[in-house]
Amino acid sequence: MSYDKRGKAFGLHALGVAMALLLVLLAPASAFALTTNKATARPNENGGSGVIGGLATRLTWEGTVEEGEEVSSVTLALPEGGTFDGSTTKITVLEGLSRAQVEGTATPAGTQLSIEFSTPITSGYLLRLEVEGMKFPADGGDVVVGGTYVNQKGEQTLADSKPIATIANTPLQALVASLDEAPWVQAWNSNPFLGMFFKPQLLATAFATLVPGWLLCLLIVVIAYPFAIALGLIFALMKISKHRILRFIATLYINVLRGTPLFLQIYIMFFGLPMMNINIDNNVLGVIVIAINASAYLAEIFRAGIQSIPQGQYEAASSLGMSYFQTMFDIILPQTIRRVIPTVTSDFITSYKDTSLLSSVGVMELMMFAKNLTSVSGNMTPYVAAAIFYLIVTLPLIKAVSIVEERIANSERGGGPRPKGKQAKTAGVAGAKLSELAVHAEARNDADVFAPALNTIPSGLASEV
Amino acid sequence: MSKNTMTRRNFFGVASASVFGLMLSACGGSGNSGNDVPAKAEAEYTLVKEGTLIVASDLDFPPLDSFEGGEAQGFDVDLSKEIGKRMGLTVEYLPPTNFDAIIPMIKQGGKADIGNSAFSITEERKAEIDFTDAYLDSNLGIAVKSDSTAKDEEALNEGGKKIAVQSGTTGEAYAKENMANATIVPLTTVTECMAGLSTGLYDAVCADLPVIGNMCTNSFVDCEVCKEIPTGEQYGIVVSKDNPGLTAAINAALAEIEADGTMDELKQKWFGTVA
Repeated sequence: MSYDKRGKAFGLHALGVAMALLLVLLAPASAFALTTNKATARPNENGGSGVIGGLATRLTWEGTVEEGEEVSSVTLALPEGGTFDGSTTKITVLEGLSRAQVEGTATPAGTQLSIEFSTPITSGYLLRLEVEGMKFPADGGDVVVGGTYVNQKGEQTLADSKPIATIANTPLQALVASLDEAPWVQAWNSNPFLGMFFKPQLLATAFATLVPGWLLCLLIVVIAYPFAIALGLIFALMKISKHRILRFIATLYINVLRGTPLFLQIYIMFFGLPMMNINIDNNVLGVIVIAINASAYLAEIFRAGIQSIPQGQYEAASSLGMSYFQTMFDIILPQTIRRVIPTVTSDFITSYKDTSLLSSVGVMELMMFAKNLTSVSGNMTPYVAAAIFYLIVTLPLIKAVSIVEERIANSERGGGPRPKGKQAKTAGVAGAKLSELAVHAEARNDADVFAPALNTIPSGLASEV
Repeated sequence: MSKNTMTRRNFFGVASASVFGLMLSACGGSGNSGNDVPAKAEAEYTLVKEGTLIVASDLDFPPLDSFEGGEAQGFDVDLSKEIGKRMGLTVEYLPPTNFDAIIPMIKQGGKADIGNSAFSITEERKAEIDFTDAYLDSNLGIAVKSDSTAKDEEALNEGGKKIAVQSGTTGEAYAKENMANATIVPLTTVTECMAGLSTGLYDAVCADLPVIGNMCTNSFVDCEVCKEIPTGEQYGIVVSKDNPGLTAAINAALAEIEADGTMDELKQKWFGTVA
């Protein structure tokens, strides 16, 4: 690529002066042949957005060569405490969007970084310097990048950049730095598998930075679930209803939701609703999607639970003159709840894990944070940390499910704690199912939920049996 | 993992025997070309599958990488095939792989030989893997809805604004560095970003200019590129640090492709311009 050296025509000069005047008006410092466009720093806080002083980061500095000027070298300067030592600089010269072949050599020396160009950069070109591995002053604060440059008239002062906000080191970052140093960590990481999946530095960072995502996951599922249960119950009752239309609606709802991937439902809701000008907060939308999806599964669980209660109990209840709703809410559902608790808990676990799918539509949940950290570090450890966060919730629940299941199995076999009250004794003869029911109730100490019903049933039944 | 090492160890035995054959064929192909690459380095590489160059790409970055009708397509894909042809290898694409998983995958080895998915060459990535020579210049851009009112960096750099980026890209790094006040939403693919932008879920997308330009013209016509960001970044192919021979061999092939005008043909085909 050839570099046309423009004639220093008077017209151009005049234009240059005019622009300089304009610049004087804009920036009261002085006129520059090389204007500072911007200086930014890449956030180097692991998992955060802060620029930490004293830690290696990348400074990006951009400047434009003004009309009629030629710049042969640039020196960037940091305030006291910052350093360019050990940095590498990528020099990019652009005309518009195309790269120009300009070579340069960068020499870091303490707070100064000087860059010599093989051929002077002429007007209109954008100079972009990416200094990788430089450090800002360790105390933090607003840092201004200044410096000098050399044009055809000699050395000039570079305009100060807009201040870059930096912060002092954080305790987490200090911990990571100490882990970086530790010999056992280096030995550990030298194993490719351990280094890729269990890097101690990243585990520490991930645990600290994933917390907000984890809390959001929990929040979404904890808010969504009561709605899911209510909706699920409604659709379960609709599905066993005598009315064909209600049954049809419930079947359609349940089958469509169970028959399509949640991922798809999320896409339809998140991309579809804004299209219809319905703008709901992402997190709320997440709660809605999870609640609706879970409700379909819960409806099936409840339906199965309700239908597992023997027909005889409906007959018994109706012979007592109980209405359908009385039978449902006083006799059938309380027993159903006991039976479905393990399955519902499993479904809760599934829903909790399913919140991870929301990361694909920009909900800042656990997986999103983990993905973010992985993409920055190129290491899989954040996913392992995320797995641990999921397990913190799911493992105790899985254990609880197995305990409850065991208890139920035990009591259905006739084991478990014996009834102590009189109610059960009177009920004893009245029918195996109902007495068992009382046993269950007492075992769970919520006999009061349907004890009144039981108190009335046995006498009635006893006379019939 | 132990399985992985086994494969690699096994491979070593096979490789040392087969490499010689490869060297012959490779030399045959590129014998008359560049003397800028040491002949020795050209052959000493290992491959996951003998005689096959396995490529990982996210295949969701048109016109560079896309997955149409179950087949990998795009500028990068044609380039990979061309490289394979010149190295005497069959080119095989893995199914679309998440962009942010490609570098770890190449680093770990065992699944793919190279990653060719419009990777901008950055110092950060160089710490993890090796890059071949640059094969294409690129820049960043910001896309917004055409009817949006916030169309520049300043207007977008505000709390409450959501900027979608592809996770692990230079676009993400740029957005984090220059639009720190906005919420940066890292997603898996640019298509997800653009779909969200088009439906109003996000306020802007910051990604590679050729790709969002292409998407705004062809797929998401209600969006436009509101800002071209000159970064002068360059794409390179990702190779494991354990495989410097492969990097050298690909560099030799790239030099050849550049020299005989094939590169310009590919650019013409996919971008409609040689610039």
